[in-house]
Amino acid sequence: MKTLTKIALVLIPTITLSATLSGTANAHDPKFHVKKAEKANCSGMDHSKMDMKDPVAVAMMKKCMKQAKAAKKAMKGMDHSKMKKDEHSSKKTDGHNAQDH
Amino acid sequence: MKISKLLLLLAVLGLGAGTTVMYSGIVNVAADEPHSDLVYWLLEETRENSIAKASRNIVVPDLSDPELLLTGGTDYEFMCSTCHLKPGQKESDMSLGLYPAPPNLALTHEDHGHEEHGDDDADQTARKNFWVIKHGIKASGMPAWGITHDDQRIWAMVAFMKQLPNLTPEQYQVLTAID
Repeated sequence: MKTLTKIALVLIPTITLSATLSGTANAHDPKFHVKKAEKANCSGMDHSKMDMKDPVAVAMMKKCMKQAKAAKKAMKGMDHSKMKKDEHSSKKTDGHNAQDH
Repeated sequence: MKISKLLLLLAVLGLGAGTTVMYSGIVNVAADEPHSDLVYWLLEETRENSIAKASRNIVVPDLSDPELLLTGGTDYEFMCSTCHLKPGQKESDMSLGLYPAPPNLALTHEDHGHEEHGDDDADQTARKNFWVIKHGIKASGMPAWGITHDDQRIWAMVAFMKQLPNLTPEQYQVLTAID
């Protein structure tokens, strides 16, 4: 019991301190300066509530339709069997190159 | 003759004082040390009047095409939002660190403490925004995007900025995402 109390006495302040310090460091973490190219999140759009005279609503619809079309096109052009084959062959090539080095 | 001598003396004194200030290094240029109220006012008035004069003859095109929001939105996200923020964001490293502080363009005119009066003011704001984006502002951190972007692309950003204060974070995300 005494050992447990000692461990707790050391661990609790250590964890608290490290959590506080890491929080401070996160404020200037380089990842906050990186802009990620995100896809539009169209899942929350309620088309029935949209005013089609509002340019913002029209622009959002256009963006989401374009995105859906592109996704559909990408799916259509996919050949899964070929993809697996390519993946396999590229791995083989990588391995061969690694041996060369 | 006496007056001309006095004027010459004053000019020499003024030049001497200016040179002393310039070379002594007593002017603090640190961005984390604000100007005095007087200097700030002088610089701000100079800047605002310069922009108003330079932009007054710019003809504002039709900015209601929704397609402009898509082009302008993506450009705004990648070129402007780091300093000028976006809906739901109150500050960034750049908005805190730059001096003068870049205006938060996601806020309405009322939030900024002044009102916009009708289409004339909206057109004037659009003209000024276009000019500032295209030409930038010296020693402020605002770049001249006109060097690398054509007028059409800049007008798209102006159109987006017009809608920006009324956008929710969700609407902003959709409009500014890549295709």
